Amino acid sequence: MIQSAIKVSLPIMFGFVPLGIAFGLLFQDLGYPWYFASLMGIIVYAGAAQFMAIGFLSVGLGIVEIAMSTFFLNSRHMFYGLSFLESFGNWNLRKLYLIFGMTDETYALLTTIKVPKSFQKERYYLYITLFSQIYWVFGCTIGALLADILTFNTNGMEFAATALFVVLLIEQWIMVRKLLPFIVGFISSIIALVFFLDHMLLVAIMVSIISIVLLRLIKVNHYE
Amino acid sequence: MNELQYLIGVIIAMALATYFTRLIPFVLFGTGKESSLLNYVAKSTPPMVMMILVVYMLKDVNYHSFESVYTFLSIAITIGLHVYKRNALLSIVTGTAIYMFFVQM
Repeated sequence: MIQSAIKVSLPIMFGFVPLGIAFGLLFQDLGYPWYFASLMGIIVYAGAAQFMAIGFLSVGLGIVEIAMSTFFLNSRHMFYGLSFLESFGNWNLRKLYLIFGMTDETYALLTTIKVPKSFQKERYYLYITLFSQIYWVFGCTIGALLADILTFNTNGMEFAATALFVVLLIEQWIMVRKLLPFIVGFISSIIALVFFLDHMLLVAIMVSIISIVLLRLIKVNHYE
Repeated sequence: MNELQYLIGVIIAMALATYFTRLIPFVLFGTGKESSLLNYVAKSTPPMVMMILVVYMLKDVNYHSFESVYTFLSIAITIGLHVYKRNALLSIVTGTAIYMFFVQM
């Protein structure tokens, strides 16, 4: 099961390690000891928010303001949990960790993969989530440690995240085979892009969920 | 408050704020068994979110430069390879390598 989890999570590694390195490199410019980059990867574990924090830390913004900004930046995750209400199992430490480890990438992967029948689902999820975080912490640490000597040209590596989401989009299509959610998602993205560029992700997800609920309600009433 | 205390305070605050956003639905909705509408939303969310994430990744591409050509060419190759082989890792690594080759050229 562990081998399978590593194999399935490798695409996340390709996204997280270079992104983590980029974070570590930038974090090092702030002048704090390198292990604080690792610590952030371990206990915050949120890509976009960590990058945002570099800017905030450099100007010494207040802790409350930073907490609020983090909350709003990550509030899209509120909708991600809906897909795992059942499949994360009973309340225990494992479930608390699975919730903690739900980033955009792990959400995308866990909702797309098929769990082999012989595997216990929650356990398999746990390994995938854990390995993903290890890749991230590894990247953050390496970036911060090697800030002065790193010469490998990582320019363009950020495309790995785009490629991952494109691949998972195809997989979603193969699984779902219904156009409606894809269309709703696309139109919501465009609306959010046009009117709320700064909060595009959150607005797009809210608009899409509200739309799909309304469409469903109309349809249900129609058939009754 | 010294520098390190500030940093540690920030890290703890961010950790709590992030975890809070991820925890909310589980606290609010339990296991979600009771509602078919909630079930429907849960099923529709992954394809919608995947679509949105792809658009999100493409929103900062500079459409007045070659970057957009490289991006869409690499995406086309990623899609083509994935439809052909259905090996996620292969598609992602190849697409990324090609994109890196283009932008570093």
